[in-house]
Amino acid sequence: MIFRRAFKDSLPVLMGYSTMGFAAGVLLAVHGGVEWPAFWGAVSSGLFISGPLQYLFVDWVKTSLALGSVFVVVLCVNFRYCLYGLSLLERFKGAGPLAKFYLIMGITDETYALQMNCRLPPGRPLRLYCLVLTALDHLYWVLGVTAGALAGSLAQSVVSPESVQRATAGIDFAMTALFIVILVDQCRERVNRAPAAIGGMAAAGVFLALAAVFGPERARAEMLIPAIISIVALLLAFRRHLEGGRR
Amino acid sequence: MSWYLILVCVGVGVLSWVLRALPFLLFGRKGEPPKVVAYVGKVLSPAAIAMLVVYCYAGYARPGATGLGACLLPEIVAGGVTAALQLWRRNPLVSILAGTALYMTLIRLFPRM
Repeated sequence: MIFRRAFKDSLPVLMGYSTMGFAAGVLLAVHGGVEWPAFWGAVSSGLFISGPLQYLFVDWVKTSLALGSVFVVVLCVNFRYCLYGLSLLERFKGAGPLAKFYLIMGITDETYALQMNCRLPPGRPLRLYCLVLTALDHLYWVLGVTAGALAGSLAQSVVSPESVQRATAGIDFAMTALFIVILVDQCRERVNRAPAAIGGMAAAGVFLALAAVFGPERARAEMLIPAIISIVALLLAFRRHLEGGRR
Repeated sequence: MSWYLILVCVGVGVLSWVLRALPFLLFGRKGEPPKVVAYVGKVLSPAAIAMLVVYCYAGYARPGATGLGACLLPEIVAGGVTAALQLWRRNPLVSILAGTALYMTLIRLFPRM
């Protein structure tokens, strides 16, 4: 009963994750320049369970981005999950350590939304529901990415790598589009608009300043750490103003 | 190269888990997060996502590009359509797929020099 319910609720996620995961897998295989794309696709998707990080992973292996910058990006992308955790504390209470470890690992936007939507009273059935849901979504994501990576490598060995690269040129825009969609959804809440504007302008300023000195390519690789520091400083400086607007 | 992959996979995996677990580790018993932390947690997320959009666009800047490609026109049009679709239909999958398909079409219609 619980299983069927979780499976039925997870079907929209199956659609989304398999499609987005497949595209990320193709991108990794065709444009990542990695030796065993299906293997690394499966490992990374199984460990990260994150769309943004999966697309950024391709960017990292392609440019060998410094680990410090990788660290900053992960911090940025997963910071919002801290807030999710706060509202899930009550729901996960009483779960065993292993179950809790996995439930926490599997928090994503979609899984979180479904878990918060579930009307079961807190207790054993709710925890089981959350656990099954997490495992199903995790599975969809890993299968999507791995299948995409396999398809990408297969296509490259059937046709030439160059023609597959040419045919899929521009598929990397899926990452840009993904961040735009997240930003649009966050900006539906009025209180998020000013911080988003600050973040965008500060990042653009840092990039342009660095690009004037080092050129665009190096500027992009180096921009994240100075950008996030200036963003946090600006957010703290405007705290009274931004919090005042909330009430 | 392979060491880099292992480091990134394990490091990012562990860091992601810790970030997701932070509220459970810090406030698992009971109690509220300090006010500054709660504030930064609230406002940093939209700011960081906006930064990552800029980071994505920064990757399209090509020093040697000329013509329509140089002014990021395909990127801006495809990004605008993605945002408009998301505002209107609220379906992330549709917005992302349509935006990406449009972008892939545009860069073929207006190839960079």
